[in-house]
Amino acid sequence: MTSPSSGEAVAKLSSVGLGRLLDQRVLLSIAVLAVLPWLLPSHALAVNVLIYGVVVMGYNLLFGYTGLLSFGQAAFFGAGAYFTGIAIGRYGVPWFAAVPIAVLLSTGLAAAIGIVSTRTRGIYFSMVTLALAQLVYYVALQASSFTGGENGLRGFTVDRISLFGFPVNFLDPVNKYYVLMAFAALAMWFQSRILNSPFGAVIEAIRENEQRARACGYDVERSKLIVFMLSGAISSLGGCMLALHLSIVPLDILHYQTSGMIVMMVLLGGARSFFGPFVGAAAFLILEDVISVWTPHWQLFVGAIFVLFVLFLPKGIWGTLLDTLGVGKARP
Amino acid sequence: MSGELLRAEGIGKHFGGFVALEGITVSFAAGQLTSIIGPNGAGKSTFFNILSGALTPTSGKLHFRGRELNGLPQHRFVHQGISRSYQITNIFPDLSVHENVRVAAQALTVSYDIWRNRARLTELNARADAALEAVGLSGRRAELAKFLAHGQQRALEIAIALVSEPELLLLDEPTAGMGPEETKDMVALLERLAEKRTVLLVEHKMKMVLGLSKRVVVLHHGRLLADGAPDEIRSNPEVRRVYLGQSEGYG
Amino acid sequence: MDLSLIIMQLLSGIALGAVLVITALGLTIVFGMLGVVNFAHGALFMIGAYAGLYLASLTGSFWWGLLLAPILIGAFGMLIEFVLIRRLYGRSIDDPLLLTFGLSYILVEGVRIVFGSDGIPFPTPPQLIGVLDLGIGFFPRYRLFVIALVAVVLLVLWLTLEKTRIGLIVRAGARDPTIMQVLGVDIGRVWLAIFGLGVGLAALGGVLAGPMRSVNPEMGSLVLAEAFVVTVIGGLGSIVGAVVAGLMVGISISLVALFAPEMATIVMFALMAVVLLIRPQGLFGIRGRTA
Repeated sequence: MTSPSSGEAVAKLSSVGLGRLLDQRVLLSIAVLAVLPWLLPSHALAVNVLIYGVVVMGYNLLFGYTGLLSFGQAAFFGAGAYFTGIAIGRYGVPWFAAVPIAVLLSTGLAAAIGIVSTRTRGIYFSMVTLALAQLVYYVALQASSFTGGENGLRGFTVDRISLFGFPVNFLDPVNKYYVLMAFAALAMWFQSRILNSPFGAVIEAIRENEQRARACGYDVERSKLIVFMLSGAISSLGGCMLALHLSIVPLDILHYQTSGMIVMMVLLGGARSFFGPFVGAAAFLILEDVISVWTPHWQLFVGAIFVLFVLFLPKGIWGTLLDTLGVGKARP
Repeated sequence: MSGELLRAEGIGKHFGGFVALEGITVSFAAGQLTSIIGPNGAGKSTFFNILSGALTPTSGKLHFRGRELNGLPQHRFVHQGISRSYQITNIFPDLSVHENVRVAAQALTVSYDIWRNRARLTELNARADAALEAVGLSGRRAELAKFLAHGQQRALEIAIALVSEPELLLLDEPTAGMGPEETKDMVALLERLAEKRTVLLVEHKMKMVLGLSKRVVVLHHGRLLADGAPDEIRSNPEVRRVYLGQSEGYG
Repeated sequence: MDLSLIIMQLLSGIALGAVLVITALGLTIVFGMLGVVNFAHGALFMIGAYAGLYLASLTGSFWWGLLLAPILIGAFGMLIEFVLIRRLYGRSIDDPLLLTFGLSYILVEGVRIVFGSDGIPFPTPPQLIGVLDLGIGFFPRYRLFVIALVAVVLLVLWLTLEKTRIGLIVRAGARDPTIMQVLGVDIGRVWLAIFGLGVGLAALGGVLAGPMRSVNPEMGSLVLAEAFVVTVIGGLGSIVGAVVAGLMVGISISLVALFAPEMATIVMFALMAVVLLIRPQGLFGIRGRTA
């Protein structure tokens, strides 16, 4: 066995060191997000990166780690937003109760959709999740007394919140950012726990070889349902964040175009990596911002870039970066 | 160990109009290595799939340790003590060799835990290491399974099936695609495995099978053709007729 | 309830179903043969409508539009297969879906650039304006034409598949693509043709639907969802399934619209959910391929 050259040894050492550093993925991610408003051109953009990052992170659990290409994540993103808005606006529930209620209800929705869709596999699954999410869209469109129908949900502004007794002006952009970042940190911590847990190993095994996972003794169908629900729960938290941020919920949040955007973001960033979703969300939103300065037809360019990514850079920005650095299987 | 471990009673399977198996009645004793052989199309794979729960028989019953297995979903078979490997390598390509085996071991204990850190499950790590040791793959534990050579992947195949410590180990052509040297290694491994558990083998390589097995079951056109000790099978005129022209054998 | 009203609504449903069938057919044929689900199918339907409208106004005749648009857009489809999709064979089965999804963004926005975002009315051809007296009621001539045309297309398709050599190749290839290569059939050409056919059918659906709804860049997105629902209910890869499911969905929507119009669209999704719970592979689908 030949010994590695010194160059290789250095590379290996630094990748081990880097790998160990990147194991602290939650803390590192929070650190990056904490300074994000100063890295990006606008506060609004930074808040959106937070929100969509969380939504995409939840989706990544389903797509990147378990290998299930769903085109219906918008249903849970939207459900989180709508339930939060309805709870606060219609029922006067304080925000800190509205959010958990919304997440719980959205998880229930995920269970319902999951029971039907996890009976299918492969391409069927993608089509069915799209169709069932569209069903949610049409129900929301019709239930206008609850949802505001085509005009979206309004009338639930959260302007003042009290954190552990201290009043905080939520309308101040800096305050808002850091409150929402706390949500994001919670979501990240939850996701990291799942990924490190025994169940986290199960979903990867299912992605790698569903048949063998079953033969090894795993109830694959039930596991898929559980991850579907977890994924929906996390993405719905992103929806709660959106509702708190915008004080309106547009109907389009439930359309499959939104699901598609989530898919694009996860691919741009890098599926099956921890921080990839935030990178992807940022990439998409920055592209949208930058390109729409020149032309209102930014979707064409984003679509083209996405096609190029599918063809040539399937691991996404962050994923490819990690690969180049030789970082191992921890995939932060 | 002694006594009957697995019994197939009148097992039949048809796919639409095609009858793959009919009236297979055979019992497998504990502690023995039994081989199932037969020419291509004899129904060996189908029979194997039924014994491991991947297919449900259209007729007949399966008894394991005296209990009827009918209707048991596939993922419960391992929990009963029946484990199988595959003819076409069926591993987890992008997971490490160690993880391939560890996740298989995990299936028997905890699955839906989303809270604990699985690195703490040291017992599972130890069991995975032991299984890798048994098949000779300890040196490769950190590599990704997809980068292993073919023979090593076949060994990993078996390690995954082995780690659940099954009473009954079903191995589907473990030497598939192997040359003479690798086959010798695999035969030695199989002999070691057979010392501690009941092994059921599907194989093509006649000489290897006759040298290795305590008992041989022959299938032909979906039916049971012969069943007995290797010497009996070797001199059975029916079997010779069916295998005329098929001279395989390494080992 | 008035029986003749119900029958008229049923006929409406069949007309609606006919468009659904032709659209879903394109999707299911491409999947059956290539194993690819074309996410841009709705966008191509929409482009078909625009192409039909444009050619009709160019030549002064709807009929030229009806004939040429599917051919032109079908050829465009072949280009897509050759340049883009072909690169993905051998990769994950999700990749063509993702790629065609990105493509749909490009196509829709492209149409917005060329034709603007507003809806354009698609005039009914003069020969088909007006209604026909069916005895029990008056039914739009154009819709009868749609039903008839789709029936003819189905017949031609069936005859081609069952009676010609090409059809034999397609049917065999759907079962086992490797056999085709062994037999010396140029699989690349077959894929090209099938993909072109699938896209052409989508475009045909678009042209036919044009006079029944207004033509706008968004019309493809509802169609995509509808096509997905129909193919899932019918069973991906099954032509019979597409026909049966398309008619079922069209009639269901139409009848429900009588009693509860706001539930009409929702009903087709509910139908799909029910079918999936009972038979996840669809009514005529094969177990194991996708469920």
